[in-house]
Amino acid sequence: MAVVSLEKISKRYTGASGHLAVDNVDLNIADGEFMVLLGPSGCGKSTTLRMIAGLESITSGVLSIDGRVMNNVAAKDRDIAMVFQSYALYPHMSVEENLGFGLRRRKIDNAEIKRRVKATAELLGLADLLQRKPHALSGGQRQRVALGRAMVREPTVFLFDEPLSNLDAALRVNTRNELIKQHHRLRSTMIYVTHDQVEAMTMGTRICVMNGGRVAQIGAPLDVYWNPADTFVARFLGSPPMNLFNTQIASAAGGHLAENAFLRAPLMRWQSGTLQGMAGKAAIFGVRAEDLHLESDAVPGQKHGSIKGRAFAVEPLGAETLLLVETEPGVECTARLSRHLKVRPGDEVELVFPTEAAFLFDSGSGRAVGSDRS
Amino acid sequence: MITTSLPRLFSRGTLAAIIGLYTFYTLAPFVWLATMSVRTTGEISLDHYAWPKPFHWGQFRSAWIDSDFATYFWNSTIVVTSAVVVVTLIGAAAAHCLARFRFAGNRLIYGILFSSIIFPPQITLISLYQILVDYNLYDNLFGLTLVYISLQLPLTVYLLEGFFARIPQDLFDAAKIDGYGDIEIFWRIVLPVGMPAIATTLILNFIQLWNEFLFAVVLITDPSKRTLPIGIRGFMGDHFQDIGLIATGVMISVIPVIVVYMFFSEKLIRGMTAGAIK
Amino acid sequence: MFVAPAILVYFGLTAYPAFRTIFDSFFTINGPGDTVFAGIQNYRDLWHDEIFWAAVRNTFIWSFIAPFLDVGTGLLLALALYAGVPFARFFRVAWFTPVLLSYVVVAILWMWIYNYDWGFVNIALRTLGLGSLAQSWLGNPNTALAALIVTHAWKWAGFNMVVCLAAIHSLPSEVLEASELDNCGWGAKLRYIIVPMLRPTLLNLYILAFIGKMKIFDLVWIMTQGGPLWSTETVSTYVYKRAFNWNTFDLGYPSAIAAVWFGVVCAAVLLLNRLLASRERLEF
Repeated sequence: MAVVSLEKISKRYTGASGHLAVDNVDLNIADGEFMVLLGPSGCGKSTTLRMIAGLESITSGVLSIDGRVMNNVAAKDRDIAMVFQSYALYPHMSVEENLGFGLRRRKIDNAEIKRRVKATAELLGLADLLQRKPHALSGGQRQRVALGRAMVREPTVFLFDEPLSNLDAALRVNTRNELIKQHHRLRSTMIYVTHDQVEAMTMGTRICVMNGGRVAQIGAPLDVYWNPADTFVARFLGSPPMNLFNTQIASAAGGHLAENAFLRAPLMRWQSGTLQGMAGKAAIFGVRAEDLHLESDAVPGQKHGSIKGRAFAVEPLGAETLLLVETEPGVECTARLSRHLKVRPGDEVELVFPTEAAFLFDSGSGRAVGSDRS
Repeated sequence: MITTSLPRLFSRGTLAAIIGLYTFYTLAPFVWLATMSVRTTGEISLDHYAWPKPFHWGQFRSAWIDSDFATYFWNSTIVVTSAVVVVTLIGAAAAHCLARFRFAGNRLIYGILFSSIIFPPQITLISLYQILVDYNLYDNLFGLTLVYISLQLPLTVYLLEGFFARIPQDLFDAAKIDGYGDIEIFWRIVLPVGMPAIATTLILNFIQLWNEFLFAVVLITDPSKRTLPIGIRGFMGDHFQDIGLIATGVMISVIPVIVVYMFFSEKLIRGMTAGAIK
Repeated sequence: MFVAPAILVYFGLTAYPAFRTIFDSFFTINGPGDTVFAGIQNYRDLWHDEIFWAAVRNTFIWSFIAPFLDVGTGLLLALALYAGVPFARFFRVAWFTPVLLSYVVVAILWMWIYNYDWGFVNIALRTLGLGSLAQSWLGNPNTALAALIVTHAWKWAGFNMVVCLAAIHSLPSEVLEASELDNCGWGAKLRYIIVPMLRPTLLNLYILAFIGKMKIFDLVWIMTQGGPLWSTETVSTYVYKRAFNWNTFDLGYPSAIAAVWFGVVCAAVLLLNRLLASRERLEF
């Protein structure tokens, strides 16, 4: 139960051209929150986590837990437990010894250790496995032991470093739910690193998207999904990724629109004042695949935008169909359509979308132009 | 990397002291030997630990020429080089066969060859002596070479088999489809691809045989046929007091090894410790 | 077919001689062509041979105890390097050097180091004021064996160190990090995590060292030749002496010794293997 705060945390690896792994990260994690650090490989999320744990030194910035500055406090004194990607179980110790090791090292009374180990083991379904060694356990069981080892210490903060990436799909779903359950039960502050957006969306109370060592956006999962701060976040969340096109802002009767050779989108979500300043300039237009429909399915009477092109691939996934459309040579658009789709590769199609489903980003910086009209 | 700070016992100072001491302990004898090898015995008797002044490089010449060191050196070179070449070839052939072809008794043969590593040399020493005498190969460099080949064979096969087994089968399948015969495959694929392991084995065998003593001392009696280790030992017997000369002679025998080591230290270390790590 | 030359060599020069030695042990051989069947007489004589037992005792002391010194030193050195000293690579290479020197070189060097008058050990003792401890290390039956063991360790410590170092480096770093979070300082980490996880390697090294010392000859022969008073006599040196140096030239007797010793070594290795069967790979 703790508040973790990172102020302008940076990590530069030593060396003449020291690699700047983490660049000025500002992050405040509230008590009991499940904060997910999300981003592609190499974005610095694991390094940030390890700095919180004390396994990496902090080059600059201040890390505090519950108001106490932790920069120079040794890892073992931070009252933090961590679940590693590879579980990091002690291979020469039994499950019971693995669970109890940290407690023994902290000179906790034996009876208390036994009690806690037993309780945790039962909670995680490990009671029958206590005498086994890690190499005799399955992946999922090892994962639970790693989790149990963290839980048994009743720490102030839990850290998770991509703990589910070594599990197969079904196990991943199960374990994910297990973790969510434990979070509700324990109400501890948990910081979770992953590159999987599904985990981020389902588990986090807030997510922090990182890219290239910097924070791209922090917010509740759905907020970040519907109001991405820049093109990176927009494309990172959502599967298939958001479609982005280079367009020009033009004025027309009744308002402004974004347009290019194949796309025409009325911009209803922005005040005309905002758009006035952008008239005649280039902008990046975004629309999500699930918001695109076939023209024939459009709701009549509603203003909508449209994209024209030629279908070049149809991917039936069972519950839905992905349609890949080539709008211009080299420019693709992906749409999530019904499973009863009758389009064939080579067909000319027109895709329409409601005007609320529009996103605008600055051409140069990629930052979103926030909507200011509801 | 360890991020926890070291406990006081292992503070920087103590650690440095320990390391310094041990390095001294390891290298000092050798440095001392080097210094003595360029001093005359007279100088050494006066002060055993002084720095050479002047450097008597001539010692090397006299050891080389006057004291038969040249002979010993060449004997060693001939015997060891031939033995190493032959054992590597035979060993590679055997290793290739054991690693690649499945046949009944494969593991058995491998096991037998490998287990002979633990044989104490005495078990074969006496009989080999008798055999060589019977075949008139006693006191003969050729006989010694043959024995050396047999000495290093188990180790060679062991090291190479492990490496060869890891060469992907696809290479061989492709070669067979391309029409290569077994021997060609051996020459053109196994040897080039296995070169790192073969090189390591070569170096290892070389060093072990260069330093080999027991069999040489038993199977060679003619002073003119002595190999270097025996020669040096003989020195100790004949010129016991002539420390300068002995030091020089020892240096001569050590230099080739050091040279090889300088260039191949990584390979050597890795090769010698292969299989010891579990 | 490839394997044929190897098998030939092996059988001709290793297996056959081995069998022949065992065969010979039942004879009294006084020279080529002069062989007299002696039954198990040689073995009986062996049983009563005090020198043989002294040699066995020495060799066993050497083989069972010295590996602790060898492997222990190696481990300590590896840990010292692992603690992260600058120039670790240099030290690694430097400390490995004695391994490559021939026993002859090592023997000669240490004979000089142990020299009573001007050897380094005694000079150091005298300068430190401990002159009373100075003695003829190789000439004193009580110290000779220990002196040899130290020399042998000097040569091989580097080998053990390198293996231990490689093993330590191959430990998964996440497990070590987990132990840091579990409140392990350097000492605790060593005791509870590093050394236990190194056990298979350490046991392996022990067995290798053990085998090596069961066979030892070169060093002993050059430095003390089994003296003084058989205090450093090993089975190998004894075999050599009986076969080639004794007044009575008889090859049957040393063959018996060799045969017995062969059996002992094999048995010991098998036993050790069985005992230390927990050498199975720690999966990680």
